[in-house]
Amino acid sequence: MHPRSPKRLALLGFAAAALIIPISVAHAQPATPAPAAVTHPIPQSLRNEHAEDLEQLELLSKRPGKVGEIAREAVVLFKRHAATEAEFIMPPLTLLPVLADGKVTPDMAWAVAMSDRVRAEREQIFQQHAEVTEVLNKLVEAAETAKDQDAKEFAEAAAGDAMNDVEILEPAVLVIGDYIRMKLAAGH
Amino acid sequence: MSERILRTAITVLLLTSAVPTLAFAAGDAAAGQSVFKSTCTMCHSNQAGQNKIGPSLFGVVGRKTGSEPDYTYSPANKAANLTWDEATLDKYLESPRTVVPGTKMTYGGQKDAEKRANLIAYLATLK
Repeated sequence: MHPRSPKRLALLGFAAAALIIPISVAHAQPATPAPAAVTHPIPQSLRNEHAEDLEQLELLSKRPGKVGEIAREAVVLFKRHAATEAEFIMPPLTLLPVLADGKVTPDMAWAVAMSDRVRAEREQIFQQHAEVTEVLNKLVEAAETAKDQDAKEFAEAAAGDAMNDVEILEPAVLVIGDYIRMKLAAGH
Repeated sequence: MSERILRTAITVLLLTSAVPTLAFAAGDAAAGQSVFKSTCTMCHSNQAGQNKIGPSLFGVVGRKTGSEPDYTYSPANKAANLTWDEATLDKYLESPRTVVPGTKMTYGGQKDAEKRANLIAYLATLK
């Protein structure tokens, strides 16, 4: 993750958090009472990214001076955002390979509810990205002052990962939700 | 005569109300370069044609939204149909999603008007 994506570090942390956070089925299917807590995982590739990102960031947080101080701030924000992603943003992405095969089944309804939540909370999610960007900007500045190339590369890669979320992953989740809803309504 | 006085008063009022706009020109480009470095360079280059996560900001002042070659803009930015003059940049930099709802720039905005003015003064030198 290091040179390639700081956000991945974040994602790694997020992934770890994702494993822990239970997802309520009741949220996915409000009309149908379900087991109290059902976990929907996130794609393994994103899980690995999250874990790597968080690991990298935690290493940076042990460095002395401003870089370490700002990295510690970043860890908090990364974990929070990772938890959000793990809770309801990224799980629907696990359905993509099956959807790509043209298969839609009623037990996918949970993904519609998550997608709806992403749409409803899009601005709050964006605000989290903005806060992460802000701390990464601070990390870049501190890294340049400290001539810490690793920290700078991490921050720039993490910013790229955040853009990946905004440009691709979150819109994909919305499309997944709309697609499943449409197909289920059509009786698939 | 009274009409002349009235016109003068109106002129003074108009000039006074224009002061905030004129403040852009009073920005300190050197200080703005520092703002650019601390808040923009992670995603934006100041070099012509060097697009990073965000588009190059070389020549941004006076440019139309969504017009930097070889950069993939958000649909919102492409459709905004704005010109990045000082006044528009000032509003955008204060709150990007207010001016261009749906922009993908994950920047919360610079709330300090002086820093914005300085940054805009620096951006104006990039040409």
